[in-house]
Amino acid sequence: MRKPASAIAVHTILGLYTLLALFPIVLVIMNSFKAKRAIFNTPLQPPMPWNFDPIGYTKVFGDGAVGLYYMNSIIVTVGTIVLTLLFGAMAAWALTEYKFRWNTVLALYLSIGIMVPIRLGSVSIIQIVADLNLINTLTALVLVYTAQNLPLAIFILSEFIAQIPKDLREAGRCDGLTEYHIFFYIVLPLLRPAMATVAVFTMIPVWNDLWFPLLLAPTGGKQTITLGVQQFLGQYITDWNAVLAALSTAIVPVLVLYVIFSRQLIRGLTSGAVK
Amino acid sequence: MSRGTYLRLLAVFLAPALIIYSTFSIYPLISTIINSLYLRLPDGSFLFNGLGNFATLLFDETWSGPFWNALRNNFYFFVIHMVVQNPIGLVLAALLSLPRLKLRATYRTLIFMPTMLSVVVIGFSWQLILSPLWGIAKMFLQFIGLGFLFGPWLGEESTALLTISLISVWQFVGIPMILIYTALLAIPEELIDAATVDGLNQFQAFVWVKLPLIWPTIGLVSVLTFVNNFNAFDLIYAMKGALAGPNFSADIMGTLFYRTFFGNQLQLGDPSMGSTIATMMFVVILIGVMLYLFLIQRRMQRYSF
Amino acid sequence: MAEVRIQKLKKSFGPVEVLKDIDLVVEDGSFVVLVGPSGCGKSTLLRSIAGLEPVSSGTMTIGGRQVNDLPPAKREIAMVFQSYALYPHMNVAANMGFGLRFAGTPRAEIDARVNEAARILQLEPLLKRKPRELSGGQRQRVAIGRAIVRKPQVFLFDEPLSNLDAALRINTRVEIAKLHKLLKATIVYVTHDQVEAMTLADKIVVMNSGRIEQQGKPLDLYYKPANLFVAGFIGSPAMNFLSGTVGDGCLDLGAAGKLALPSRSSVRSGDRLTLGVRPEHLRLGGSGGLVLNATVDLIERLGETGFAHLRLATGHVVIAEVRGEPSFRTGDNAIISLDPEQVHLFGADGNRLA
Repeated sequence: MRKPASAIAVHTILGLYTLLALFPIVLVIMNSFKAKRAIFNTPLQPPMPWNFDPIGYTKVFGDGAVGLYYMNSIIVTVGTIVLTLLFGAMAAWALTEYKFRWNTVLALYLSIGIMVPIRLGSVSIIQIVADLNLINTLTALVLVYTAQNLPLAIFILSEFIAQIPKDLREAGRCDGLTEYHIFFYIVLPLLRPAMATVAVFTMIPVWNDLWFPLLLAPTGGKQTITLGVQQFLGQYITDWNAVLAALSTAIVPVLVLYVIFSRQLIRGLTSGAVK
Repeated sequence: MSRGTYLRLLAVFLAPALIIYSTFSIYPLISTIINSLYLRLPDGSFLFNGLGNFATLLFDETWSGPFWNALRNNFYFFVIHMVVQNPIGLVLAALLSLPRLKLRATYRTLIFMPTMLSVVVIGFSWQLILSPLWGIAKMFLQFIGLGFLFGPWLGEESTALLTISLISVWQFVGIPMILIYTALLAIPEELIDAATVDGLNQFQAFVWVKLPLIWPTIGLVSVLTFVNNFNAFDLIYAMKGALAGPNFSADIMGTLFYRTFFGNQLQLGDPSMGSTIATMMFVVILIGVMLYLFLIQRRMQRYSF
Repeated sequence: MAEVRIQKLKKSFGPVEVLKDIDLVVEDGSFVVLVGPSGCGKSTLLRSIAGLEPVSSGTMTIGGRQVNDLPPAKREIAMVFQSYALYPHMNVAANMGFGLRFAGTPRAEIDARVNEAARILQLEPLLKRKPRELSGGQRQRVAIGRAIVRKPQVFLFDEPLSNLDAALRINTRVEIAKLHKLLKATIVYVTHDQVEAMTLADKIVVMNSGRIEQQGKPLDLYYKPANLFVAGFIGSPAMNFLSGTVGDGCLDLGAAGKLALPSRSSVRSGDRLTLGVRPEHLRLGGSGGLVLNATVDLIERLGETGFAHLRLATGHVVIAEVRGEPSFRTGDNAIISLDPEQVHLFGADGNRLA
């Protein structure tokens, strides 16, 4: 019963907004491949043989730091995900399976972390990290991000664990498995979809974060790519080629990953926030 | 199993998470609050000052000016998000949830793309686009006949915060969109059929049937916006640096905190006052969340289908 | 006149034809039940009558008016949905009056109609409650009340009893039948349960794969099913089917034996036939041309009646209804005799032979 007119209106609105969302990104990437003159005179033209000039990229990749920064970001992100999932699953399992008196208290304790932004404690975090001799290390970042993401991960995983049929766990016990066996060989594999969701949900904010790398690991080759780009931009601010290339270098890998994982990501966001 | 084994298991499974969480999340928070009660003396030692720091922050000339400015800017930032980001998110979600929409997944993926990117990238890209040197924004406005509106918005006191707020909206509209979209999907199709049989058109069905059923989600989106806005820092720092100019017109609590704690070319770093500002941020966010929980959450009902 | 007339209705979803050449007349004031297995198209047909689904070709009139291009609200229909589709955020009274508000009906009129419907359905004490405070049966009645309030030409019911438990289902079935008589309404009702269909309908329409297999009075379909599908669908437990080849005036069932065929001119030697006979038309014991040998596989007792599962020499199992105390047990040999008046013959194409 849909009249064609209203379908056109809907698609127009959605289409226009999509253009608005994509336009700046496309513009930056396109122009990063053009010569300086072409950038200014014909900004809307895509890179063509006559205005092609990857000079910006040579500067970006020139001092070799970019590869290092990417590695740092990957280490931090993967490290955070691994710790968050492992410790989060363990804690979620303990909370769900072993009911004890302090359950609700713990749940409330953890929910503070969800509502209150961890950044507010930065003053002390810096102090602690310094005391532990972890300034300018990736370890510090991993620990802080893990702390930040644990509460939500625990809640999401708890929900999933609660849905695992009790029979499976009981059967394991009857078969004489230790609790550790049950957890690692029965529960964890069943949690895989939930863990994938949490992983994707955690990945983006950690990768894109500027605050903690700025505070805890600003120098010494331990910068993440986000911080690295920020510093690079500050340095090359008038060199348009370099700047556009740097931005594109930061954009493209994330976009590619996003397009591949978009469905899991959206599922992760929705299940997380509803809690 | 025995009580001893039980407790041991519990401890083993809970310990790592609790240790990391408490060390890096809870303890720093409490420590910051305690720090804010101390004053740092010129010789480096600390003196207990009770709520003195807060009094200084709120009322002392050197401090209260920037503080109230930052707080006001933060509210402005928040209002822009509530008024622009969330309604747009709502409309997009409503359109995406229409039945039999072609290309739905494509639109959803593409519109959500800016949220994926880091603020550094976003901030700088927009800076280029809005820059008078490059002239792209000017070109577009001229194209639609609004060329006279163009100006160096990012560089002017009166428009800098608004511009940055809108860029932030542009980046994050995907989040309310997805949350509301998911809530809309949970509404059973039969309910809309019943409304159609009752004589409502699509728009009326949305306003009278769908909207009331997603109030809890809209509430959630609002509180999330509040918390995120008052915690914001990245975009402004990326675009304007710690000084959040021009002339502090884009200064919000986050940048004020950063600047105070670490210092800059205008002042020395001050951990006490930094802690104080952080604690104030905590208090503001807490008040907002409490207000939401007690005033709004209680009245809202989640409907299960 | 609230008659629904459907002619040559076709509906396709892309390349798939879901409704094929439907011709159906729902007389004014009659209770027509669309019944069939999942996926047969009965709900699609109902929704097409409602206007919730567009049709590809054919005509449909309600009360003499052609409604093909009209939206649901203008067709003067009301629908009761399978899961009731009550608006969770409104109370019962508001739910029932919702549609009228949008039609611009004056407040007093809305209140009058809602109260009247509430009276008929005994919903008066519940008017201020919200749907989540009601039981399944109560929500059902509110959904029906919402339909009554609209004073439609035709009531459309989409499997309204499927979400109720067994006891409630029987009660509500009776209530719906009474409602039909009280309101003298034209009803089109969809269900997959043939017992509901048999007890409620003035006319049953059996559907399969988008096509109408047979339509008519319930007992007509019971005694004279037009094809194998209808024969196997109507009646519980289902009809027994025995296939064989015609030879010497008998139906040769292979190892199971031979059955003497009543003289029918349309059968010839060599034809493949299926013989159908209902469990209630089989007897144990007896003799004559219409008997089979079998061993007792299983006896299901339901009190006064029961069902015996009897295995033929071919391994095929036949179900017979038995009454009282049976004089045999599992493993015994038994003779089954068929009532010659109640035997149905179907040709190789599945259709009934004269």
